[in-house]
Amino acid sequence: MRERAWRAVMLVLAAAAFAYGWRVTRIDLGELATKAHLVRPLVRDLLRPELLERVPRVQEVAVPVSLGGGEPPLPPSRGPQVQVSSRAVRVGQEVVVRGEEFEPGRPGRLVWRDATGAPAPLAEFSTDARGGFQLRVRIPDTLGDRGEVVAVVELAQTVWRPSETLRLVAERMVETVFLALMGTAMGVVFAVPLSFLGARNLAYGPVGLAVYGVSRTVLNVFRSVEPLILATVFAVWVGIGPFAGVLALGVHSVASLGKLYSEAIEAIDPGPIEAVEATGASRLQVVRYAVIPQIVPQFIAFTIYRWDINVRMSTVIGFVGGGGIGFLLMQYINLLLWQKAATAVWAITVVVALMDYLSARVRERVT
Amino acid sequence: MGKPFLEVEHLTKVYPGGVRALEDVSFEVARGEFVVVIGLSGSGKSTLLRCINRLVEPTSGRVWVDGVEITALDREGVRRVRREIGMIFQQFNLVKRLPVVTNVLTGRLGYVPGWWSLVNYWPPGLVQQALDALERVGIRDKAYVRADQLSGGQQQRVGIARALMQEPKLILADEPVASLDPATSHSVLRYVEELNRREGITVLCSLHFLSLARRYGTRVLALKEGRLVFDGHPSEIDGRRFREIYGEDAVEVEIA
Ligand SMILES: Nc1ncnc2c1ncn2[C@@H]1O[C@H](COP(=O)(O)OP(=O)(O)OP(=O)(O)O)[C@@H](O)[C@H]1O
Ligand SMILES: [Mg+2]
Repeated sequence: MRERAWRAVMLVLAAAAFAYGWRVTRIDLGELATKAHLVRPLVRDLLRPELLERVPRVQEVAVPVSLGGGEPPLPPSRGPQVQVSSRAVRVGQEVVVRGEEFEPGRPGRLVWRDATGAPAPLAEFSTDARGGFQLRVRIPDTLGDRGEVVAVVELAQTVWRPSETLRLVAERMVETVFLALMGTAMGVVFAVPLSFLGARNLAYGPVGLAVYGVSRTVLNVFRSVEPLILATVFAVWVGIGPFAGVLALGVHSVASLGKLYSEAIEAIDPGPIEAVEATGASRLQVVRYAVIPQIVPQFIAFTIYRWDINVRMSTVIGFVGGGGIGFLLMQYINLLLWQKAATAVWAITVVVALMDYLSARVRERVT
Repeated sequence: MGKPFLEVEHLTKVYPGGVRALEDVSFEVARGEFVVVIGLSGSGKSTLLRCINRLVEPTSGRVWVDGVEITALDREGVRRVRREIGMIFQQFNLVKRLPVVTNVLTGRLGYVPGWWSLVNYWPPGLVQQALDALERVGIRDKAYVRADQLSGGQQQRVGIARALMQEPKLILADEPVASLDPATSHSVLRYVEELNRREGITVLCSLHFLSLARRYGTRVLALKEGRLVFDGHPSEIDGRRFREIYGEDAVEVEIA
């Protein structure tokens, strides 16, 4: 009878809690349907990441010129030819540029490339029926004592190549994987000693127990701090960028690896320890021959797993200034560049899945 | 006769939980004896053996081995006497992921500089000695196999080789064959017996089966609830004594 009354009270309380929750979080399932049109373009763009781009194939010929020096040597070239009336020039001088044996009837452009490789447009043209052109251009104001006049003619065929976005995303993805690696490495360096000190079965005597208590406390405190907050703090400290991410992941990894490691140490078979102790071995020797061989496989497995998690985490950490792909993704989102954002999202998905698979395989092998 | 080789005096062990595992146990063992300790599960056999090399700290009482009062030694002293006391375990207690030969070599750890172990260095002379020890227990060919690849009987022979590596004066064997089948039990115990007979190593060995105690022991100690209830020749254990040690309902099991 009393039990039934209890149950009724609990039911009423639960119902009240949910009713209140529904109101404060302003749940309105109808909005999911009525506002679907708002999300449609976003979803559509997410499904169309910028992976490859189609660019026309080009014929390109570069002619070196010097500013205030002698004529530089001409590299031998086959196919299309370009001549410049003078190849020892000064800024503002007019030169005649003649090309021949290009693809006939195609659009082209003349570009000035300075010593650093930075391009500046000079003129646009179309090749004539025999594939030639002739233009009069002025050498622009430029840095350095040499440069190149470059003729670029676009052909009718096109080629696929990785998009600019994809290349940038790939670069940041690599940065992210290594950011996670460095964070993990930092975690390992501090977690290994802490885990030995924080393993109950290796804590002997009052001093050992005190050290055990301190190590455990340090690990627990570190672990209770969200990596996002750590990243924010480090981004302020060392500036936005991958280093802040490494520090945030590193501190977080110390805590989580330290706990996993010390639990692995606590779970080892005490038999071999007893046996090696019984031979008159020192503490160090016992650790070397009875403890370490038992924990190495788990340590490796945990470390790889941590790296895997850190790759995931570093994307989120990038949002708050921890560098890597997350930072790029956040920029794309803020600029409403959904297709570019989609490229990043897909890259993250693929890399995370790959890491997940590889880490599972490696863990299988070592245990 | 001078002092006995092993002397246990009023040994008492109370575990932190309050369990009185040993209660005023006293006995003496002469050099070269093969003493079998019997008793029901929980009677204190393991505790007794571990008090002798101080893997377990006795609550009170004293233990001498070969003139050294073990119970009076500091940590370093304990380490030094342990080098000469071999120990064999029911669960073999090998380091499973290490090769057999390394397991045998650990028997020598008490004698080698600590930093050698950082780089896992063993001088060729010791490696040869370990291989010889394995040869003696008939598994020289398994030297470079991982310890957990071996059968139970083979693992226990590695355990014996590890003890042998210590060139011990005394071997403590805690139910060395309790996890093995009867035929394997005999083959393992024969190696222990041979060490006892040929090298004169004193053996203190706990066993479950009285038949094994009769076959290998030159003397039997029986423990019951932490007290020594029998100390004598195996043949003196008749039906009445047997029921005293193992309880009224016990029946003696023959092991072939
Ligand atoms: N570390 C420990 N802490 C508390 N009590 C213990 C500990 N080790 C053993 N005991 C208790 O001490 C008593 C004697 O145990 P011991 O292991 O010496 O008996 P045993 O004769 O070897 O038994 P078995 O045949 O089962 O191995 C038992 O009651 C056991 O529960
Ligand atoms: Mg026991």
